[in-house]
Amino acid sequence: MGILSGLLHPDRGEARLFGEDPHDWRARLRLGVTPQASGFPPTLRVVEILELVRAHYPNPAPVAALLERFGLLPLARRYAERLSEGEKRRLALALAFAGNPALAILDEPTAGLDVESRRRLWEEIAAFCKEDKSVLLTTHHLEEAERLADRVAILHRGRLLAVGTVAEIKARIGLKRVAFRARQLPELPGVARAERSGDRHTLYTADADRLVRALVEAGVAFYELEVQPLPLEEAFLLLTREESA
Amino acid sequence: MIRLVFRHLGAEIKGLLRVPGFLIPTLVFPSMFFLLFAAPYLKTPEAANQTTAGFMTFAFFTVVFFQFGVGLAQERENPWSTYVRTLPLAPWVRPLAFLGAGLCFALAAAGVVAVVAALATPIAPERASVPGLLAALVLGAVPHGLFGIALANRTSAKAALPIANLVYLLLAFLGGLWMPPEVLPDWARTISP
Repeated sequence: MGILSGLLHPDRGEARLFGEDPHDWRARLRLGVTPQASGFPPTLRVVEILELVRAHYPNPAPVAALLERFGLLPLARRYAERLSEGEKRRLALALAFAGNPALAILDEPTAGLDVESRRRLWEEIAAFCKEDKSVLLTTHHLEEAERLADRVAILHRGRLLAVGTVAEIKARIGLKRVAFRARQLPELPGVARAERSGDRHTLYTADADRLVRALVEAGVAFYELEVQPLPLEEAFLLLTREESA
Repeated sequence: MIRLVFRHLGAEIKGLLRVPGFLIPTLVFPSMFFLLFAAPYLKTPEAANQTTAGFMTFAFFTVVFFQFGVGLAQERENPWSTYVRTLPLAPWVRPLAFLGAGLCFALAAAGVVAVVAALATPIAPERASVPGLLAALVLGAVPHGLFGIALANRTSAKAALPIANLVYLLLAFLGGLWMPPEVLPDWARTISP
């Protein structure tokens, strides 16, 4: 995000924003970014900050509409230093959309938002994307990614673990846990991860039915079979643990 | 882009005007020092002219030095300035606005001293010397600005203010901006210009 918004240079490789170098300000004319909510000029009013940011764009969104969309109407004349944390978050989001951008980069947009504001933001993002525009957002909530995103990338310790549509990601981490006891195991299909302690096996697989059929067909004398779905969060943890092992 | 410089300049000035903790030291302190320590002893127009110019210089350089030293140190650590760099604007816009705001406040501070001097001393400025004084103020401000930048690059935002105060008051004293160099102690006179 820092690289795409022209703040950092990549250590390796190359970043392009609308086909141009993000360090060139002209490339950023169609980009909107959320600032860190802690850093507004304390003695400027909400509406003054919005006006200042709008002034950078050729075709900005109208102030009144921005205030309305992000629930800032009653706060328009308030100094930034008098805003609550949630209100600052909403102003930060309004700024990302102030220039009517084609791409909005939102860093943890729903962190610190109350439930109602989060719903409104989700609707806002959905409406924005219908206009053939894009949002790039980070989140720690898989539920949020599932709800909003067309494409998901999972980053762990600076490395890309998985990229794809929500369905693809879910297929990758929508694992089931198959546990049983058995002496010997043959080669089994579709096992993402296998754990063993004594004769107790725990296998993680996307297709539990196929795995169990394979066990039966191979004539494995297994007993105490359990099949459990794995919550997304846990599956995600499993993926990342596997990666760092 | 020039339009944006004025936008940022306007926002900077508007923001600072609403901070009494910035405004009072900047605009009032130099005139207050002048009124307390210098004005009562200025009996002739020549002495008044010289000392007023000295205090105007002091007021002007103070703002420049602090704006660059302390202001830049704070600016560097401020998340807002990081955000502003993601906006579509050329990289020189904000430094220029920053400089402009500093100059505006510096001129205002020097102006207040001039007004106070006109009211409280037998000052008799020669019209011809005014442009020369203004040019000296702006030119002399350059090393102070650079000095401030050096300070800002070496200190954190919190340390910058006390360090700037210490360095600056000492320099102003040694430079003979408050009292003519002739009346300074011997050790100070040897290094004073």
